[in-house]
Amino acid sequence: MSSALRLSDVAVTGDTGRRLLRVPSLDVTPGTSLGIRGPSGAGKSTLLFAVAGLLSRVSGGVFWAETDICAMTAEQRAAFRARHMGLIFQDFLLFEELSALDNATLPAQFAPKSGRAQIRAAAQDHLTALGLHDLDRPVASFSGGERQRVAIARALANDPGILLADEPTASLHRDAADRLIDDLVASQAAARRTLIAVSHDPALLDRMDRVLTVTDGQITDDSGA
Amino acid sequence: MAAIWTELSALQQDIALLLGLLLPAVLIGALVLRGFHPAPLVRAMLWRFRWPNALFVLLIAVSLGIGIGLLAQERGLRRGTAAAADKFDLIVSAPGSEVTMMLAAVYLQPSDVPLLSGDIFNVVAGNENVALAAPLAFGDSFQGASVVGTTPEFVSYLSDGRIDGAVFSEHEQAVVGAAVPLRIGDTFKPAHGVGDGADHDAHDHALTVVGRMEPTGTPWDRAILIPVEAVWETHGLANGHAPEHGDQIGPPFDAAYFPGTPAIIVHAEALWANYALRSEFTRDAETMAFFPGAVLSRLYRVMGDVRQAMSVMSLVTQVLVAASVLVGLLILIRLFQRQLALLRALGAPARFVFAVVWSYAAALLLVGALLGVLVGQAATWALSAILTSRTDIAIQAPLGWPEAHFVAGFVTLSTVLALLPAVTVMRQSIVKGLRG
Repeated sequence: MSSALRLSDVAVTGDTGRRLLRVPSLDVTPGTSLGIRGPSGAGKSTLLFAVAGLLSRVSGGVFWAETDICAMTAEQRAAFRARHMGLIFQDFLLFEELSALDNATLPAQFAPKSGRAQIRAAAQDHLTALGLHDLDRPVASFSGGERQRVAIARALANDPGILLADEPTASLHRDAADRLIDDLVASQAAARRTLIAVSHDPALLDRMDRVLTVTDGQITDDSGA
Repeated sequence: MAAIWTELSALQQDIALLLGLLLPAVLIGALVLRGFHPAPLVRAMLWRFRWPNALFVLLIAVSLGIGIGLLAQERGLRRGTAAAADKFDLIVSAPGSEVTMMLAAVYLQPSDVPLLSGDIFNVVAGNENVALAAPLAFGDSFQGASVVGTTPEFVSYLSDGRIDGAVFSEHEQAVVGAAVPLRIGDTFKPAHGVGDGADHDAHDHALTVVGRMEPTGTPWDRAILIPVEAVWETHGLANGHAPEHGDQIGPPFDAAYFPGTPAIIVHAEALWANYALRSEFTRDAETMAFFPGAVLSRLYRVMGDVRQAMSVMSLVTQVLVAASVLVGLLILIRLFQRQLALLRALGAPARFVFAVVWSYAAALLLVGALLGVLVGQAATWALSAILTSRTDIAIQAPLGWPEAHFVAGFVTLSTVLALLPAVTVMRQSIVKGLRG
């Protein structure tokens, strides 16, 4: 799956009808690492959720390669995410009572039967590669950095062409954040994935190929375009 | 279809009804879970909020347990009272209330009733189809135990000969029921009357216990049986026999010296003979003859309406409980809002998230229902013990098919209701869910 992204005349409105984001045009070449920065409430996460297909009030076109996810139903977008995307969140969003392995292999629980073994094997490989041990322990006993690495392993388990991260380092202390940035960039580079990361963290943004600045619901700066 | 149903045995009908009641729940489960394996996630959700979950399970278990406990208890009470009347095929008494007479003769709850004469007794006892005819004489007691005057033959019949010691053969001897606090060899003086108003000094007639009946599971376990002659003598009456036969115990009685009996317990060897005897001794203004079993079944018919009302109330209570649990589940599910939104963000099909929520709710309901069966069993044991000690009627109330059907109905109904929280989750925005 080629992972080029094209936005065409995209507008996102909120529940009250207020416009939250407007992007007349945006092209991201496959394999790019793209940072999105901007003040709080500017629309960074809205942009990320729009390209993830998580929002319903989106007009225009969000094309991943030739596929316009805006033209899909919510169920089709979910299937698209399951096949092509890996998501990472600020506060990890793990199931605390499950082990690291069970969390990382979560996508296998709802994947087609034929693909489950592959997802499990990949998740285990990623956990090991990310330096995690004792994989049967509940993640509640893991440190923040370890938990976020479990979340990365979960995002990579289905070998996605697209990685989407929302403030992935915001809940980590500096050392853990730096290590996570290394892991994230390495994961992206190893398989030439398209990485889009919303962040306030200059250390992360510095490592991106390209950085967008979003202000008041619009892209106001595009370094490296 | 109806023809097939009526051809099935009672057991087959019960099994079919149970399976029929469970089928919708099984079908829903199979449809919802098809192709998924959400068990690890459901276990994690159950464990995460284990105390609220345990409280829900307990609420369901207790309410369901009390419901099935009462149903089983009502049946046990009917069976126990029917079993207590087993030995009383036919009762002949003066015309009046059959229920009053049955309570007096079978369950030893005597009231003032007219007496039958010696002539009538001899006619009954002399009938060729009568294997046993026994007079009863009530009115005295000892430490709360009714003292009942009757014949040695009746004592042997009532106890099926299972007597430790011997049946009385003299006027001053007594046989006690299994629950009477007297031992063989003990001597006692009956008080006149029963209960708090009993006059303990009215009689100076001492009796010695010579035998003890094995437990019968009837109020007679708490009775003291003495020769009917002794009761009459104690009250200053003739003793049923001419002076030259003054020491005799039991029939035949001399009508001229027979003070009267409120009831004659009649036993015939042949079943048909009971019907013949009943019509023979049903005489206007003279005697009435009735089957205690028939009186009981008339009472049960009345109670049957009460039972149905009870069942409906019980079911309504369960539905209310299920509805409360449903509201609770809707609230509890909100605690998992982020995790469920995460699943959808990761690309889980809506049906998978639906399956997770439904399985979680169904697991709570199912565990609650199973635990409810245990609570129900414990409730019936406790209630049976209380009722048995109060009535001396051996009541056993094992859970049976009606309870199984009740639980199965509850499980199916509540698993259908459990679809609602699952539907609500599907209507929520993923992004709002992720933000918590």
